[in-house]
Amino acid sequence: MITVALPKGALLKDSIDRFYGIGLDFRAFLDDNNRQLQIEDPTGTAKAMLVRAQDVPVYVEYGQAQVGIVGYDVLREKKPQVAQLADLEFGDCRMSVAVPADSKYQESRLLPPHGRVASKFVHCARDYFRQLDLPVEIIPLYGSVELGPITGMSEAIVDLVSTGRTLKENGLIEIDVLFHSTARLIAHPLSYRLNSDQLTDWLNQLMNNQ
Amino acid sequence: MIHQPPAGTRDLLPLEVAQKRWIADRLQQVFHRWGYQRIITSTLEWVDTLTAGGAIQPETVIQVEDTAEGRLGLRPELTASIARTAVTRMAGCTYPQRLYYSANVFRRSSQAHHGRQVEFFQTGVELLYSGSSLADTEILLLLADGLQHLGLEQWEIVLGEAGLTRSLLSVFPEAVQETVRYCLANLDRVGLENLDLSPELRDRALLLFDLRGKPEDVLQKVSTLNLNPQETQTVNNLKTLIDRLRNSHSNAFPLILDLSLIETIDYYTGIVFEVVSTRQQQYRVLGKGGRYDHLLELYHPHGESAPGIGFALNIEELHSELSSSEELPQKPPSSHWLVIPTTPQAEIAALHHAQTLRHSDHVVRVELELEGRSPEDIRDYASLSHIEHLVWVDEQGNLDIERTQAEQNLSQDG
Repeated sequence: MITVALPKGALLKDSIDRFYGIGLDFRAFLDDNNRQLQIEDPTGTAKAMLVRAQDVPVYVEYGQAQVGIVGYDVLREKKPQVAQLADLEFGDCRMSVAVPADSKYQESRLLPPHGRVASKFVHCARDYFRQLDLPVEIIPLYGSVELGPITGMSEAIVDLVSTGRTLKENGLIEIDVLFHSTARLIAHPLSYRLNSDQLTDWLNQLMNNQ
Repeated sequence: MIHQPPAGTRDLLPLEVAQKRWIADRLQQVFHRWGYQRIITSTLEWVDTLTAGGAIQPETVIQVEDTAEGRLGLRPELTASIARTAVTRMAGCTYPQRLYYSANVFRRSSQAHHGRQVEFFQTGVELLYSGSSLADTEILLLLADGLQHLGLEQWEIVLGEAGLTRSLLSVFPEAVQETVRYCLANLDRVGLENLDLSPELRDRALLLFDLRGKPEDVLQKVSTLNLNPQETQTVNNLKTLIDRLRNSHSNAFPLILDLSLIETIDYYTGIVFEVVSTRQQQYRVLGKGGRYDHLLELYHPHGESAPGIGFALNIEELHSELSSSEELPQKPPSSHWLVIPTTPQAEIAALHHAQTLRHSDHVVRVELELEGRSPEDIRDYASLSHIEHLVWVDEQGNLDIERTQAEQNLSQDG
């Protein structure tokens, strides 16, 4: 049986819709009363696990799930060994550098050397500033990254932005975009190569049913 | 202070040693039957030797010393060492050379994977100085024979052709060739779609990405491409190889042809393969190998080129795979005899008798009671250690033989 890893949060509904579109019904996960972490689709063809977005590529890399849907941002951050099969074109957002609206640094390049940048996406942030040849200290935070510059702990943040409302409400503005991100269809490389359980057929259906 | 083994290493206790030896011995029997001879190379090598082939990155080598002569490191695999010795010390031997090894290897794990294994046990073969398609066949059949001899049934071989794939990539402009190859090797289809390519080239890239599946179907698809004579030759060789495998193996040779199975560096030059266990959908790479016709020349004093092909099997993976097998020893070997001097004066007679037993025609394991324990304690010890016979020796050399519970159980089982 195929096992699918689905990401909690912003991408969940669209991901479930995609699978529903090819006849695999995991809508039980959308029920607010659902506490199950694993469910089987009613036809008994596939199983889905509900995991944190960052953990989707982990389950897929280790083969506990053969298929997963996850944001490109997570793939960039974690660089997992998974097959990236399709851009599913939903969950549009961007990885951006933001500073307080009144900051004197209105471009990433102008940030002070050895300045501080708070981020959940430590690797993305580090790679970006390395590319700019700008030495900065990355401060890892796991939520409410906006507080970094508000409290004065950091000069800037690197974070995922979709509408920009959170930034705006906290008095921050985007100054640069690292990359754009959308949902990606990923697969366990060996299962994909070996086409276990006719995996390729299911994946092709998902890819063609956009 | 508490002494622990370094992160990523471990100690193998007698039962695990017995099981892993069983696996290595079984494989060794097969290698012998195919005319392969064991070679033992140095655990320590110059880092430059290890990395000369390009397949090993210096940062994955555990470096042990930095001397004026160069850096020393622990071997992460054996092919480099065998290639080095084959073209120097073994030069002048008869051709081809069929060699096998069974050894530990070391790989530094990246910081992201704290505690990941760094010491591994591998056993493998190298067939040097033969570049023929029949040599490719021999290596794959030998691999299958080894797995069969271990009692493994659910496995599949994923076969690629590094030379053919590299050649098919030559239609792409040089600037993007490396990226296309990287995307193929890492199964990054989205990466291929996003490359700045003409529609024809993009279709070609996506077609290469999908060259995977039943060998006959894949070869059929490849034949529709506009192949040059060299590529046609390689495709024909692949057909021959697959035919031979299908007709020489006792059951249908489980095989998937996957032309995206390549490395991002030019180490392999011909067929390349992975053997994957498919039991209970838990895919596990048991070993891998391939043809490397440009490796030996890197080690040859005058740069003379010579072909080679081989594979390595991971003993740890085979062990996990076989853990439920009944054939695997379930306990470490126990002694057949415990020789007990009944008094201090009987020690010489006991030593003599133990030695007599050890010289029996068939191999017996004989141990000596050293501590002068009470008969009761000795019987407890013998029962816990599954010893079959006790023999009490007095100073005159008189023997009193006693069968233990372990032996009685054994004869009941038998």
